[in-house]
Amino acid sequence: MREVIARVLENAPITEDVFSLTFCCEEEIPVRAGQFAMIGVSGFPLRRPIAICKAEGERITVCYRLKGEGTKRMSRELKPGENLSVLLPLGNGFYAAEEERRIALVGGGAGVFPLISALRQYADKKQVFAYMGFKNKENLCMEHEIYRASGGLIATDDGSFGFHGSAVAAFESEADKIKPEVVFSCGPLPMMRALAEYTKRKNIKTFVSLEERMGCGLGACLVCICEKTNGEHARVCKDGPVFDAREIFG
Amino acid sequence: MVDLSVNICGVELKNPVIPASGTFGFGREFNEIYDISVLGGVATKGLTLEPRAGNPVPRIAESKGVILNSVGLQNPGVESFIENDLNWLKNKTRVLANVAGKTLSDYEKICARLDGMVDFIELNISCPNVKAGGMAFGIKPESVKEVTHVAKSALKKTPLIVKLSPNVESIARNAIAAEEGGADCLSLINTITGLAVDIENRRPILANNTGGVSGAGVKPIALRMVYEAAHAVNIPVIGMGGITCAEDAVEFLMAGAVAVQVGTRNFKNSRACPDIIEGLRGWCERHGVEKVSSLTGTLKFYQ
Repeated sequence: MREVIARVLENAPITEDVFSLTFCCEEEIPVRAGQFAMIGVSGFPLRRPIAICKAEGERITVCYRLKGEGTKRMSRELKPGENLSVLLPLGNGFYAAEEERRIALVGGGAGVFPLISALRQYADKKQVFAYMGFKNKENLCMEHEIYRASGGLIATDDGSFGFHGSAVAAFESEADKIKPEVVFSCGPLPMMRALAEYTKRKNIKTFVSLEERMGCGLGACLVCICEKTNGEHARVCKDGPVFDAREIFG
Repeated sequence: MVDLSVNICGVELKNPVIPASGTFGFGREFNEIYDISVLGGVATKGLTLEPRAGNPVPRIAESKGVILNSVGLQNPGVESFIENDLNWLKNKTRVLANVAGKTLSDYEKICARLDGMVDFIELNISCPNVKAGGMAFGIKPESVKEVTHVAKSALKKTPLIVKLSPNVESIARNAIAAEEGGADCLSLINTITGLAVDIENRRPILANNTGGVSGAGVKPIALRMVYEAAHAVNIPVIGMGGITCAEDAVEFLMAGAVAVQVGTRNFKNSRACPDIIEGLRGWCERHGVEKVSSLTGTLKFYQ
């Protein structure tokens, strides 16, 4: 992990409330799928933990939803050419073992973006099936990336595009057919819980990426704790953000 | 060549910059970013006799210019620290072991356990005293003096720093109380108790409801308190509260501090401490200051 001053290359909306930010670091940053960056916002004492969507040498892309004052300021103030203080790459990431040849990705909302990094890492080496859920057609984004997958479905809650229903429902509709050996998921907690219940029944290894309010991002301050089912406290930033679903949901 | 070294209670620090307790763990994580042997010392994560799980999440919130935290002293316990981290950290830099307890006896035992093993004990007295209805040890001068005395009596070799809480009637009176109790040094300020609200859900943001406020916004309060404490006592004072750059550190030194701690800024810039050390060197060079220690207490108040 490195503390870098990066230069903004592009910061533009891809849907009505999601921005894609691409920045250039001084050097090549080796990033694993599912890792994240802590991004500084001027005037705010805390950095924002944001999943890395694409890493191409020294060029890094993250996508963020306009959620509070900090992300709104990011969307307004980070113009191309501006400097950006970033700590990256952070966290453990998604990891598929050599013998796992078939991966399913199940993502909802902003949880789609870290899964794009997994798709990019594994699409050439394995069969990757993507089940990505959006609120409606207007919120759909990253289709050009999602279509790298060997298969899968785009789902919308209102049925305005693709599968009518959640990403989990879309995945369940095809799971017996695609027979994944491992599932990677990111999205709202109830969504990941529903997925974990299903994959536990089907005995499919599942990893979920969690979100929590963070302080340092490095594992030192013990702010972003999640309680595992065995009662242990894990640091989302350092021990995660990716955990075996059984450790979180039982 | 600027001499950045400072001497606190007979212990020499290579410079006056120390990451503050709770923001830096035991230093291992930040050592992946830079070699922490450049630091004057490290104030460890608050240690208790037994491991502690801490509070529910969210444990952190942001407000304008400040953050609030309610980690609740999560730590692996003093024995784990001694076994797994102490030697590693000692080989890097000076160790300020920050310790906390729920009873006087806890403070006595943890101080006795660490005596002679660390460079300083930093006593966190902002914890609730379970035997006195939960009021923090650090609020009233009488209990400040008492807990300081108990800790000091358990320490034969290691100098004692008492970390003062700002949530008090008179910081000067509490500073004097700590000095009378036998403190060798003071550090201040600990966080200021605060509240952050999520208006959509009509709930506090922190699961603990309230939390400790820190960050740039508390600096004027901290500076005033450091000044008042330093003028009230004859023992050295370590200043902290909202330091983000070398110039802020200079303000604290001038107000009476012999060294400074940097906490919240580590979250915005993981290299904050080395940046401040280099910034101090540059500031001293530009201002013809040969020894950083000569800055302490040079602020001239209007009569």
